[in-house]
Amino acid sequence: MTVPLQRESPDPALALHGLIKRFEAKVAVAGIDLDVPQGSFFGLLGPNGAGKTTTLSMAVGLLRPDGGQARILGYDVWADPVAAKSRIGVLPDGVRLFDRLTGSELLAYHGLLRGMDATVVDQRAGELMDVLELGAGNRTLVVDYSAGMKKKIGLACALLHAPRLLVLDEPFEAVDPVSAALIRGILNRYVAGGGTVVFSSHVMAVVERLCSHVAIMAEGRIRVHGTLDRVRGDRSLEEVFVEVVGGRTATGSELSWL
Amino acid sequence: MAVRARHFVRLKLRLLANGLRGRNSRVVLFVLGVLLGLIAAFSGYLIFSLPGILGEQRPAEVLLPLGGALIVLGWLFLPLIFFGVDESLDPARFALFPLPRATLLRGLFAASLAGVPAIATFVATLGMVHAAAALGGFGAALTELAGVIGGILLCAALSRAVTSGFATALRSRRARDLATVAFAGTAALLGPIQLGALAAAQRADWRGVGRVVDVLAWTPLGAPWSMGLDVAAGRAAVVPVKALIVVGSIGLLMWWWSGSLERAMVGAAGGSGKRESATSQRPPVAQLIPRWLPRSRFGALAAREMRYWWRETRRRATLITFSVVGIFLPILVATGSESSGPPGAMLVFVAALAAVSLANQFGFEGSAYAANVVAGVPGRIELSSRAAGYSVYVLPALFLMALIAGLVVDSPAAVPALSGTIFAAYGVAMAVVMPISVRAAYPLPDSTSPFAMSSGGGMAKGLLSFLALVGATIATAPLQIAAFLLGDIWLWIGLPVGLAYGAGAFALGLHLTAPVLDRRIPELLATVSATR
Repeated sequence: MTVPLQRESPDPALALHGLIKRFEAKVAVAGIDLDVPQGSFFGLLGPNGAGKTTTLSMAVGLLRPDGGQARILGYDVWADPVAAKSRIGVLPDGVRLFDRLTGSELLAYHGLLRGMDATVVDQRAGELMDVLELGAGNRTLVVDYSAGMKKKIGLACALLHAPRLLVLDEPFEAVDPVSAALIRGILNRYVAGGGTVVFSSHVMAVVERLCSHVAIMAEGRIRVHGTLDRVRGDRSLEEVFVEVVGGRTATGSELSWL
Repeated sequence: MAVRARHFVRLKLRLLANGLRGRNSRVVLFVLGVLLGLIAAFSGYLIFSLPGILGEQRPAEVLLPLGGALIVLGWLFLPLIFFGVDESLDPARFALFPLPRATLLRGLFAASLAGVPAIATFVATLGMVHAAAALGGFGAALTELAGVIGGILLCAALSRAVTSGFATALRSRRARDLATVAFAGTAALLGPIQLGALAAAQRADWRGVGRVVDVLAWTPLGAPWSMGLDVAAGRAAVVPVKALIVVGSIGLLMWWWSGSLERAMVGAAGGSGKRESATSQRPPVAQLIPRWLPRSRFGALAAREMRYWWRETRRRATLITFSVVGIFLPILVATGSESSGPPGAMLVFVAALAAVSLANQFGFEGSAYAANVVAGVPGRIELSSRAAGYSVYVLPALFLMALIAGLVVDSPAAVPALSGTIFAAYGVAMAVVMPISVRAAYPLPDSTSPFAMSSGGGMAKGLLSFLALVGATIATAPLQIAAFLLGDIWLWIGLPVGLAYGAGAFALGLHLTAPVLDRRIPELLATVSATR
């Protein structure tokens, strides 16, 4: 696939300012400020329930924030949704795909929905199915795919229109090591070509291997952010993460009945 | 501690209460449902107790089994067509617990009785007990009470067994056609009964109706409701036989349900089965979009909708149910009544019923709608493509229905005008339904049964359907009046006028609803993808 050319512009790929979201009584995201520079490979880390999915949903226009602003390459997601949305590819987590379509049909659907030309869609969809080892002529419905295949077809849908920014929520969850390596390779090439990736994860090893920048979230706030080397210092990322999040360490005396 | 039926009932009530917590619109719907239930219950009580209060034995012997049979049929068909089944206790969720099947069955059955419909039915049928008491004293009342309780158990068992069995059948591709035929067959069997009853009622031939009902009182439909009256009439000896009929039917239904329950539980874990067919060499876009649709956003959306109406069990069940109802209803009404007027009103109802399937069109796919949100699909294209995808199936069906209705009343010349009426009603109903689908969407449970509703959802579905039906009927009234006033001229201009009327109504509805959708896209997504 073709990687978009880097257009020199001062705007960050993704800029969040004071994003807030409450669900009933619970504050899921309590004011987030974050700039993701263009061309970076950005990892958003946090324990379960930290607000990663909520933050990314607000950043791409899936969830209306209670306050604050999200800008994609300078376009306000909520004031100018068409301009913003046309520049991003999104792989949401915990969201169903249109899974009663076959993989090829789903890609064609996404391509045409993005206003792409049918011949371009055909060419790129075939290539993506091939590269991601989903089988170009495969007539299996996406609902019958394995969890890993669903992630891959979701990623293919996000890549199809060659966006400038990819926002991926837990792209490596439930993916086997072989597919994970494949996805890593594709994403690395995409960033090398000038694209920007923002993804959430709680797998430290993956983040350390891929990211140029990281941010660690807990309880709806960004606790630490910056380049990987700055956040990590001379320790491992996992140590930093546990310290920042304030996890509990087992003493060995609990669950003695097990 | 052994698990008992009451634990299931408590669990269901707890789920209901938690579902209402902090959601005002749901509370309103729930209260409305309770109110409607109360109204139905007390008017039913009045009607059923009336012959007893007046001291008339024979009318009671006709009214009670007949009314009771209607209640049973209501329990059978209303969940399929309107309300869905409250499956907050999805059997698949119990698959991992070490529960004997009998316990599970008893528990789910008890839970299905804990709801507004069962209680309303019980209160209404207490009127029968009142009547029996007035006619035959304490013994008759006691027998009738036992009969009424048996009748309600029968209703619940029938409703559960049929929806569950139909749902299981719909899941596999080969059985699907079988299920369609079976359902159509059942509907067809009802025909003769209804014909007899209607024909007799038309001639005000009470003796004729009485004879039919006397037979009905010996079937599971009528037996439970007539026991007390037999005691009152001094035929106490027949009560055990009728009791046997009722208990036997309940047993059979439970046995059937138990079988499909097992399959429903396993089916959830085993997936829907591989549906791999030959690989396709056609390019992806050609695989998605049929040749006659444009290769554009609209084409993609409409093509996806078409696929979904056939490939998703929930939608397919809606489509099949509508087709069967739509074909049989006009026939039944047309042949049942002796008035020779074309069944225009019935066709309006059928067309509105078709559009009502879209009342929760965004709820069908749940969170998958996120794909359209991320792509920023404008509301106008979203709504019109959905209407188009569905209409591919519905418009031919509607025309077929107009054709059948015209032929049944033996006036082929009326077919174009009838088609005009039905298309107009469809367009109008779509216009009514579109804003409802945007403003009043609700999530559907991720269940194996296409009829499953979360608690309270059934009320929403029923109420919205009713609103759409009423709205469509009112809005097509001008056409009905025109048909009546213009007579023969209408036969000529009915089709073009109807088409224009329907298209105009649809365009207006689209024009008004699209901006609302554009404003509410994230909220709509949040509503339909809520699984909490």
